[in-house]
Amino acid sequence: MRWAWIVFRKELVEILRDRRTLMAIALSAIATPIVLTVVTQISSQTATQSYTVGYSGDVPTGLDTILQAVRLDLKPVADPAAAAKKNVDLGVVFTPTTVDEYYDPTRQSAQIADTRLQTVLGQYNAAKADAALRLKGIDPGILVPLRITAHPLSSVTAAAGNAFLSFFLPYILITMIITGGFSAALDSTAGERERHTLESLLLTPAPRSRILLGKIAAVTTVSLIAAVVAIASMFVAISQIKQTAIHVTLNPIAVPVMVWVAILVAASFSSITLALGTLAKSFRQGQAYVTPLYFVTIFPASIVLFIPDFNPSLAYYLIPILNAVLVLRDAIVHNAVDWAPLAVSTFSLVATGAIAWFAVLRLFTREALLTRS
Amino acid sequence: MVERLEKRLGKNQVLRGVSFEAGKGEIFGLLGPNGAGKTTTLRTICTLLAPDEGRIEVLGFDTRTAPAEVRRRVGVVTAEIGVYPRLTARENIAYFARLGDVPERDVNRRVDAVIERLDISSFAGQRAESLSSGQKQKVAIARAIVHDPPVLMFDEPTSNLDVLASKEIRDFMVESRSRGKCVIFSTHVLHDAERLCDRVTIIHQGRVVANGPTAEVRRKYSDLEDSFLELVTA
Repeated sequence: MRWAWIVFRKELVEILRDRRTLMAIALSAIATPIVLTVVTQISSQTATQSYTVGYSGDVPTGLDTILQAVRLDLKPVADPAAAAKKNVDLGVVFTPTTVDEYYDPTRQSAQIADTRLQTVLGQYNAAKADAALRLKGIDPGILVPLRITAHPLSSVTAAAGNAFLSFFLPYILITMIITGGFSAALDSTAGERERHTLESLLLTPAPRSRILLGKIAAVTTVSLIAAVVAIASMFVAISQIKQTAIHVTLNPIAVPVMVWVAILVAASFSSITLALGTLAKSFRQGQAYVTPLYFVTIFPASIVLFIPDFNPSLAYYLIPILNAVLVLRDAIVHNAVDWAPLAVSTFSLVATGAIAWFAVLRLFTREALLTRS
Repeated sequence: MVERLEKRLGKNQVLRGVSFEAGKGEIFGLLGPNGAGKTTTLRTICTLLAPDEGRIEVLGFDTRTAPAEVRRRVGVVTAEIGVYPRLTARENIAYFARLGDVPERDVNRRVDAVIERLDISSFAGQRAESLSSGQKQKVAIARAIVHDPPVLMFDEPTSNLDVLASKEIRDFMVESRSRGKCVIFSTHVLHDAERLCDRVTIIHQGRVVANGPTAEVRRKYSDLEDSFLELVTA
């Protein structure tokens, strides 16, 4: 282990003096708060934004006031259906007994306006029916044979916070672990070859497996530093952004799970990027090799972003990266560890790391490592 | 000792039965045109490449069975001056001292000794990226000798250096010989070989075409350059 420790220390010193790596870490620390601020601003604007309803016919008494209150501005138009395609967000034709609504579902503004209108009309209809029944001396309760009383088991704020964390935190963690170590991994493999230091290194009595172990440990450490910096800046940003209604706290179960998964992902992907870097003749060529790796690995993880309620079978936990994201999401949302998925994910990530380790060791010990250059 | 060494790289048969022996306290010249197989020979001696056929022994250690022992006893300086740019000259040397199995308690003493010997003190604290080619080459030499190897191999060490820096390398080789080291000097600069080497082996297309004391090879022909040209164009 002495050899690995010597290489680890030297690699870490070199990496931490490398502007490219420091820039990547600093950028992640700055980028996360910026992204969060922009997202918060946009969501806050969307919630308070007014939408236009183009209408024809007579607006039922009182409905215009309610629509105004939910920021749906009424605008008379000749042809509501035609106007809803472009000029206004919704088109509505009022008759004494019906409301015909026209909207284009491909427009997000139309979808939001539609939801607001449906909610308002539902409440308006209920209020009218209630008043009519009372006028005739009938209990309006007959319209609701099953009265529903909801009992949320957690606060809405906490749920919003969990939902936010469950997709943002794993995504940032995984992205930073993978990208944070790219530069360091390429520098210690392809860079070593490019600088002509590789031959001197291999001429030492240190076994190549120990040299590699030191390099993998250094790249893993840098990846984890990048991830910790990004996540810390995310929490700082959340606490500083006043507009956000969400209150996030990382539950005690999620923390050890996150640390465990982060170490596994960082170690296995360090081996993979080192293997790709070993194949490359130069840093630039190495970049061309590892960039597709980012997209290949991050694509399955994106499923959780697009399908928040994705409830996979155990087999899905065999897919590296996706499993890490799912395990983290589960720990954050449910505040509990489901041992079977965690065990399967651990097995998958350890196996990925082991395969990558043998691949990089094989590449690192072959003669072509030197003769190719 | 190199005995009937054969080596193929890809489709090329680079070495075809190369044999020679170099001893303590001498500078042994490995001569040949570009592509003759000099670098492959040196890389095989220092265990970076494995011989296909033949045998190499360094101070009694076989390169196949005891590669780490061989590497402990060999220091190599090449034309491609590779140093870690973000480490200082001193850190570069200390790193290789540790990897060269120098005990931790002796590292600083050894590093100080080679810094003084090669006159590196004035730039020892500077990052390698800010050093000149000659200064980098000195660091590369220091790195190669910091573990005090009995065998030193120089592979075209002066090809990227100016006149002054080249002279310092030559002086260093002579000094190493006087310290009893076995110095193997691979070059195609015949003038250097003629001045420095006690014995030479001329390799051409992977075969040894001449072998013996420099004076003897030179006597056989009018000078070393004549003999070299005659042998490689034969």
